[in-house]
Amino acid sequence: MIKTTEEQISIPMVVNVPYEFAAGEYLTRGLSELRDNGKFYAVKCPKCQRVQLPPRIVCAVCHVKNDAWVELGQEGTLVGFTIMFIPMTDPTTGKPHEPPFAYGSVRLDGATSVLDHFLHVEPDMEKIWVGMRFKLVLRPKAERIGDLSDVMYFEPLPGQKRPGRTN
Amino acid sequence: MDETKTYPPFLVNQRIKANSLYYAGKMGSIFYVNLRDNETIVGVHCPKCNKNFWPPRLSCTKCFSELTETVEIGPYGTVETFTQVNYAEPVHPRKAPFVYGVIKLDGADGGITHFIDEVDIGEIAIGMRVKPVFAKDKKGIILDIKYFKPI
Amino acid sequence: MKRNVAIIGGGQTYHAARRHDVDQAEMVNEAVRRALDDAGLTIDEIDLVLLGNMEFFEGMHMTDCWLVHGTGAYGRPGLKITTGGTVGATIVCAGAHHVASGLFDRVLCIGFEKQEEGDTGAILSGVASPLWGRSMAGAAVGYFAMLATSYMAAWGAKEEHSAMVAVKARQNARKNKYAHLKIDLKMEDVMNSKMLAYPIKLHDMCPASNGACAVILADEKTAKKRCKKPVWIRAMDTAHNEQFELDWRDVKTKRPIFSKVSSSRIYKKLGVTKPSEYFDVFEVYEPATWSELLWYEDLGICGPGEGFKLIEKGMTNIDGPIPVNPSGGVLSTNCIGASAMLRVWEAALQIRGDAEEHQVPKDVRRALTTAYGGTNWTVITALSKSLDE
Repeated sequence: MIKTTEEQISIPMVVNVPYEFAAGEYLTRGLSELRDNGKFYAVKCPKCQRVQLPPRIVCAVCHVKNDAWVELGQEGTLVGFTIMFIPMTDPTTGKPHEPPFAYGSVRLDGATSVLDHFLHVEPDMEKIWVGMRFKLVLRPKAERIGDLSDVMYFEPLPGQKRPGRTN
Repeated sequence: MDETKTYPPFLVNQRIKANSLYYAGKMGSIFYVNLRDNETIVGVHCPKCNKNFWPPRLSCTKCFSELTETVEIGPYGTVETFTQVNYAEPVHPRKAPFVYGVIKLDGADGGITHFIDEVDIGEIAIGMRVKPVFAKDKKGIILDIKYFKPI
Repeated sequence: MKRNVAIIGGGQTYHAARRHDVDQAEMVNEAVRRALDDAGLTIDEIDLVLLGNMEFFEGMHMTDCWLVHGTGAYGRPGLKITTGGTVGATIVCAGAHHVASGLFDRVLCIGFEKQEEGDTGAILSGVASPLWGRSMAGAAVGYFAMLATSYMAAWGAKEEHSAMVAVKARQNARKNKYAHLKIDLKMEDVMNSKMLAYPIKLHDMCPASNGACAVILADEKTAKKRCKKPVWIRAMDTAHNEQFELDWRDVKTKRPIFSKVSSSRIYKKLGVTKPSEYFDVFEVYEPATWSELLWYEDLGICGPGEGFKLIEKGMTNIDGPIPVNPSGGVLSTNCIGASAMLRVWEAALQIRGDAEEHQVPKDVRRALTTAYGGTNWTVITALSKSLDE
């Protein structure tokens, strides 16, 4: 005897998958230098002069081989930001970052590309602005693994004042 | 930067863990409720193709008719094919060695993949008649049938 | 186009926060049956089935294989496409290419998402590059928030402008029986809603919906013979982006970014100089309110920095001179795999005059739709009522 039902059956399952990614020739150099020497290396396109971070074999725009390595400065300019009110977890460590906190995109001096990271600044819209200058703060060498999380956050350069704006 | 410096290959290890929750839907719910509560295996009948499908579904795969007629299938069945798994894989539901088989349940067109147990691999043959052994604690999942065993 | 392609029918589900009553195949089947009914076709007349959804959002790979009994693809040629949020439109684009090529005459295009079944947070982290940025990936909200702060700083727009977009979307959705968020939203509701990432508040973002959409494309002969109101696909364009540079997050960028490249190419193909006059209605893909303002600008409906003035003046309201998203848009319904296809289908409904309560009150002869995918790409589609316009 088949019984009919109003029940809406649901079946839980977990998919838990390990991955091993090869960084490739260019990123191997880039991530190794970050881990071992705390340096950010990018490549410069001979055709359009874009300084590409992460370093890659080919310019994404010109499709020309890039083999001119450029060491980037550790200071940069803020080009976009927000204040996060929802927690953000680092998926690689599982540790949450409690809100509110500031998060933004910084263009390191010399680079065309930007880096997204935490901003070590009071999460107050009055205290952060596009154009603000920041510097990278790296973890100590013993803690670095060759990943963007080797950067702890961006620290604002001292003595900056928000440029006068009417709104 | 020293252009001639070489680096050992850089490998990044990461993991993605995703929690899913699958809704069985109209037909699926009927199947799992009957498995859990009546130890009855439910399929669906397509009047146009004159076939019974397992798993039961709302649309006929072959002729696309809308299906409504649930039917009891099995519980006995015939082994269509089988194999023994001898190596271990984290995703396996059982510890190797274990036997998988495709069992054509009586009355159904098409087979169900499940474990075959209480028999040695050397004794299993295509065409062998089997019956389901149900779990004591049923949850409304396919493992409410623990395995199939020879009749 | 080598051969002309028309949309001869379509269907969608009643999009919802929860669809515990159906499995993935049953949900897709609802849209497919409605589309076949609408087109007056049987499944046997379909010669190709294209399916798209966001990879692994249902916690299941190879949905094209597992959902065969729902899609009607058994024994038929078929393809599965995954291009993130833009997939719905990518499927229509692929379908149109297949018909235009002369190889297929009647193509069933399906987009769906049953988001409640997968772990979208975990899977979305997989969208970021594992080598560069996954550990720092800041959810979709973070991205749109940065876009918003850039916009506000560059042009002086206020949070209120975002709320205007949010209100327009949900009020339009109240007229769309299939939409997910049919809420009587007012400005204060938006401004007082929970802050997620400055300045984005809860009502500034799209929901997570469960739903499916299906459209049927056909060649000219079939369309003229079988369909009373074929809607012609006149042109499509798609463009990828470079992932590590700013595009929408730097609203003043001079770089050729996906939205500008695609729209200028499609306008060139069609000879469009003033899009706000050429097209009668727009359906854009706006996961957040601010992205709708950027679409206004990048589509050339207004100049750079003028998007917020357009919404302020009500120009893009359902009864305005340049209606945008009369369906309620992605802000009201976001079943990711279907969302971009819904833009095309809703635009087609407008051209057919079949949008019922959310029909724009003007003669709709041409429409433009956009799509958007998480790594910034788009498919822009231009539709028209007849082949002569």
